[in-house]
Amino acid sequence: MNEYAILSIHGAIILFGVLLMSPLGSSISSIFHNKYPSTTTRRGEILSGMIFVCLGGFTVSAQTLWMHNKLSEGASVCSGNSILNCDGLIGNIAYNTDPFLGQPWGLVGMVAFTALMWLVITIAKDPMSPQTQLFIKAGLGATIAGLPIIGLLVSYEIKEGLICPFCTTAHIANIIALVGFILLAKLHDSNDWASDMKKQISKHSRK
Amino acid sequence: MTTEPIPLRQTIGLMHENEFGKFGENMKTMLDNQEGSARSEAGIIAMSMFFAGLLVVAFTTNPIASGTQIGERAPVFSGEAYDGTSWKSFQFDDLLDMSWTWNATEDVPWIAVEFLDTDCGHCKNAAPDMATWSQEFSGVNGAPNVVFIAIAVEFVAESSRAEIVDFRTQYENNFLFVDDLDEDIAKDWDVLATPSYFLVQPDGIVAWNSGQATNSIGWDAKEEKSIPLNGFDDGYVQLNEAIVQLMMLNGGE
Repeated sequence: MNEYAILSIHGAIILFGVLLMSPLGSSISSIFHNKYPSTTTRRGEILSGMIFVCLGGFTVSAQTLWMHNKLSEGASVCSGNSILNCDGLIGNIAYNTDPFLGQPWGLVGMVAFTALMWLVITIAKDPMSPQTQLFIKAGLGATIAGLPIIGLLVSYEIKEGLICPFCTTAHIANIIALVGFILLAKLHDSNDWASDMKKQISKHSRK
Repeated sequence: MTTEPIPLRQTIGLMHENEFGKFGENMKTMLDNQEGSARSEAGIIAMSMFFAGLLVVAFTTNPIASGTQIGERAPVFSGEAYDGTSWKSFQFDDLLDMSWTWNATEDVPWIAVEFLDTDCGHCKNAAPDMATWSQEFSGVNGAPNVVFIAIAVEFVAESSRAEIVDFRTQYENNFLFVDDLDEDIAKDWDVLATPSYFLVQPDGIVAWNSGQATNSIGWDAKEEKSIPLNGFDDGYVQLNEAIVQLMMLNGGE
């Protein structure tokens, strides 16, 4: 399968997450309403969107790790004469591992998105926990910490005069996750965090 | 009548504070368990995803580390090289053939890389041998086909391109001399002393490294494992001996 066809699958997962997080989310999330009633709320829309964004970020990171390994075997996975070229970056030993642990950037991405996924699912499963604010702050911190790393990787791209579309997709997923955590933090500080529960409590109190 | 909803937690907290007895305490424990359960479930889902991804990558790839130990993929480099007439740009990966396999029938050359310093005595002593071997292993009449490359560094004393050209001419080392006076390539290849020799398979895997271990092991591309090499005279394996043993073993000439 063409590498850009595979990339479009990762992109589609992330895009679906973005749509769920956007104002369009209320109409799109209707497909989940029966199975996941929490998606009827703004909180549920953002959280479900973030799950898809983290999933897309994870799968594209896993693919870059796969490319890293394939390139070490001597294969060519995403090269070309244009500026879009992964081989020259993921296959470049000067840049393709993190400078502290020496691990491939794809693995670093997988770990990061797994951690973000854990935070998002935990918030989604128990949104009324007093720990929720801590989890949102942890997510914010983790995604903000990702920004200088993205800056470092973009500097490699500028140095080599190449763009790795797969890496860029993972970077975008991190930035979208950051926006998601900002939205969650704002929502948590507002009265709309538990609008569904308020409705239920009001209904009971009227009885 | 409309009432401002009081979060369940606050209610339970009040019950607990007001010594509502065992009931409030039990409710609080229940909620704490719920939190722990949410974190555990989320952890199981996230870790399952992580390990599933890792397994897919592990089962569909066979990664080879980059480096200059035998069995590793030699770091590629580029620079200016002198070919006897002028300094021209040179790319190491232009010499590689990634489709090469151990029993390939095509006559694809292996690559012998020497790191030298024009001011180093041992390099000067070895230079006549290098001249002989580069002629001997030229692929003519069934002889092993090896491309020789010298990488000139500046470890001992200040050097220059003029010195490199003179060295090449004096010892009739009629192969490419790459300018690495800034020692970038030497750093990538973990070269700390000269002369250092490497024999690289056509697909870029290091088959022999003069500085590794006891200097008597090579890489068997067929079996994908290291093997002992035999020194012909003194037990010490030289570049020419490594070329003969490894290329004959792998049928790569």
